[in-house]
Amino acid sequence: MKKELEHKFVTNLERHQNIVHKICRIYTNDQAAHNDLFQEITIQLWKAYPKFRGDAKFSTWMYRVALNTAITLYRKKKRGIQTTDYDSVHFRIEAEEYDPAAEHQLKLLYSAVKQLNDIEKALVFLYLEDKNYKEISETMGISEVNARVKMNRVKTKLKNILNP
Amino acid sequence: MDELELLKKDWKKQEGNYPRLSYDQIYKMLWKKSSSIVKWIFVISIVEFLFWTLITVLFADNEYWNEVERLHLKEFTIISYIIGYAITFYFIYRFYRNYRKITSTDDVSSLMKNIINTRKTVKYYIAYVLISTGIVSMVMTYFIFYYHSLNTTIEDVSAYTFTTTQWLLFLVVVALIFVVFLGLVWLFYRLLYGILLKRLHRNYKELQKLEME
Repeated sequence: MKKELEHKFVTNLERHQNIVHKICRIYTNDQAAHNDLFQEITIQLWKAYPKFRGDAKFSTWMYRVALNTAITLYRKKKRGIQTTDYDSVHFRIEAEEYDPAAEHQLKLLYSAVKQLNDIEKALVFLYLEDKNYKEISETMGISEVNARVKMNRVKTKLKNILNP
Repeated sequence: MDELELLKKDWKKQEGNYPRLSYDQIYKMLWKKSSSIVKWIFVISIVEFLFWTLITVLFADNEYWNEVERLHLKEFTIISYIIGYAITFYFIYRFYRNYRKITSTDDVSSLMKNIINTRKTVKYYIAYVLISTGIVSMVMTYFIFYYHSLNTTIEDVSAYTFTTTQWLLFLVVVALIFVVFLGLVWLFYRLLYGILLKRLHRNYKELQKLEME
């Protein structure tokens, strides 16, 4: 019985692991931290799995638990001020047609996102994942209106970081 | 906002560029939690060992050794050091073995077995510390009293002689001091390892629950 549960969980996680990798990318600055966060999220997902009864989609449930883990961990660590490394964006590949200006702009953008706080990062992540406000509000456990307001604030904040 | 759209485009383009972990790699991750606790037990045991060694080195100056010699405790001290270090090293080795074993474990039942073993090792270790501290301090007390009375010249012996009740009272007080002292040592170790042991136990319970489902 237990083996079956384990197998189901690992298979599901393997299939949807990209979600976790993407969260790690938003929240961490280097490969080692990425791996640590990935593992922590895996453990938290596994712990929460017995409560997952399949009434939601596995991936939807994953977004929620994984983001919560990242936010909680990030909070614990955030004692000192985090400086963001300009080249901290890992897994970057060069675009097919290399456009230095666009590349530069993207780097600035990614480093601006890194300067956001834990909740703001989560919002940007869900936005990048093409989630609508209803999904964002469900994942974050806030109202739809609140999600909208928060999202607008994040956009303004990003703008301010990019054009000080 | 154009910038976020640009970011989103890039984000989507990179969908296929994330690392891909295999089934086995993910599976192994599920058990890493206990291994990090066991790693901490190993680390703490080393730190604790270094701490006591440092204390011993700092306090064991010439004056200390002279005093030890005066009380005829030199052989005993050296022997207890040797035995103590040997046993402590053995335990550190055991903690290390537990850590290695738990990191390479990949099925639930042997992980559970390893957790039980680790908890047992820690409990034996605490028992060893308590028993050895008890024995060493009892022997030392005996020597101190014995040689102290030999070295002291007393004119009127009767004034210093205990009656039976006084002896009993004296023994009770000494015993009480021992109990309080050992109790403090025990409390210290309970705090040091207790939290980790509790977490290991919780993991064990979780595993057990999953096993039964």
